[in-house]
Amino acid sequence: MPPMTLLQTIAMGLIQIVAVLIVVFIMVPLLTFAERKVIGYAQVRLGATRTAGGRKGFTASLNRGMWAMGKVPVLSFFRGLPVFVADAVKLITKEDIIPAKADRAVFTLAPILSVVAAFGVFSAIAYYPGVMFYMPKSWPLIGGLPFNGAIADVNVGLLFILGLASVGVYGIVLGAWASNSKYPLLGGLRSAAQIVSYEVPLTLSLLPAVILAGTLNFKDMSVILSTGQGMSPLAVIPLFIGFFIYTTCGFAETNRVPFDLPEAETELVAGFHTEYSGMKFGFFYLAEYANMIVVSCLATAFFFGGYYLLPFGLQRIIPASVPFLGHPSFLFFMAKVSLLLFVFIWVRATLPRYRYDQLMDVGWKYLIPLSLVNLFIAAVIRYAF
Amino acid sequence: MRLLKTLIPGDIAAGLMLTGKYFGKVFFSANRKKVRAHLKHFTQEYPEIPVRLAPRFRGRLTLLKDEQGEIKCVCCLACEKICPTQVITIEKGKMEGRKMPYPVRYDFEMERCIFCEFCVESCGFDSIILNHQFELAAYNREDFSLGMEGLGQNMFAPSPVGKYSVAED
Repeated sequence: MPPMTLLQTIAMGLIQIVAVLIVVFIMVPLLTFAERKVIGYAQVRLGATRTAGGRKGFTASLNRGMWAMGKVPVLSFFRGLPVFVADAVKLITKEDIIPAKADRAVFTLAPILSVVAAFGVFSAIAYYPGVMFYMPKSWPLIGGLPFNGAIADVNVGLLFILGLASVGVYGIVLGAWASNSKYPLLGGLRSAAQIVSYEVPLTLSLLPAVILAGTLNFKDMSVILSTGQGMSPLAVIPLFIGFFIYTTCGFAETNRVPFDLPEAETELVAGFHTEYSGMKFGFFYLAEYANMIVVSCLATAFFFGGYYLLPFGLQRIIPASVPFLGHPSFLFFMAKVSLLLFVFIWVRATLPRYRYDQLMDVGWKYLIPLSLVNLFIAAVIRYAF
Repeated sequence: MRLLKTLIPGDIAAGLMLTGKYFGKVFFSANRKKVRAHLKHFTQEYPEIPVRLAPRFRGRLTLLKDEQGEIKCVCCLACEKICPTQVITIEKGKMEGRKMPYPVRYDFEMERCIFCEFCVESCGFDSIILNHQFELAAYNREDFSLGMEGLGQNMFAPSPVGKYSVAED
């Protein structure tokens, strides 16, 4: 195949970016809907089952039509699935208020920064090792070109992801400060302290994976760690411990329950986004859920088996000759990401919020020593076995 | 020991097991129409599915008849006397072949009723009851004056407005 021209590279890049964005923009509202339903079911109720319209406008005429047909005017099919559309429409059409004393430029910049940091990470994540499929030959310009599993196959992908993901905290801190209000400010300060604290064990928990794989490339790391090629069978131990440390830190990084102190509503109204409304608030919301997906993708790729069936480098049990189960698949990756997202919601339905000192205790006294011990174990296994 | 307990979060796992158990139960019962009778969740999908009410729910006042179709009320006026808002008005009358007095008129002003059930408790003949009907809204004030005659204001039949609420017993 001849090397791609600049135009072709740009076109393929744009296509891949749009494809990933579409998937994420569908997944985020579905995730909010799943959150309502899963928490509802876990608390022995039903969650959102119906969508009712308003008293004016389009939905009102729909309602009247349904009354005229002798039906109760609520959309309740698929156990309330229309709710996720209604949620998105509500966020987009709501009035966007900027407080009079707020710093307008920073106030607008903050949610953008948050969302860009969350979405930029998706560019370095590989959803499939190598080429997913080739574009049809008959298409002009891009005919026959490969559709890669990653938008950008960055050589130091892990560093890129960690660096960009930690930019997201700027959005929260800047937004909190620019609101010119005490509760957002307190929430932002808490968030900064929390994310700075948990960045350390998060990175330390990923280092065993880097040591065992011997590379920083996202795709190569994932393939080596899940197939376990060139790795001792004992490598399961640091990967297993690392998975739990990483997911715990991931909960804290994404400001999710039980570490959602920045938005502790009993103390801080709604935390850093108290003054935000409309689509600016929607951006923060979007960024939080996108971050959840990113954390799930990383946990899946490095610890949970990536594109292969079995987690923690146990894939070597299944030889590559077995059809489907022995081969990498996009479906395995998505299934595992969905499972981890379910765990995120499941934990939210179960655990209450930690107190602030408890949060710092967990981070500094337990997770950092534990991840250092884990790093030591991984290093010993790498060089002794 | 405390360190080990912190490192291995058994209580978190127990909590997750509990919520997971309930999630599974509700998930597998709520989404299948066939097992509607054994639903595990507490949410009542009211307009579509009739509400499950407690047996002692206090709905609208209803006059009862016995097996022969005779009105059980004997006009002792106990309910009229005990009613705190005085919504019951009874007019005594006589009927051929009946020893006890017979209510010629039994008026019930529902707009003032507070549904306290004193009337039912005071009744020595079990001749009135508060049924399980709670959809009692109406467009006209006259519709709240119930008596022994008429269709929509009949003290014997359940109100025709209540499409979805259970009106039995």
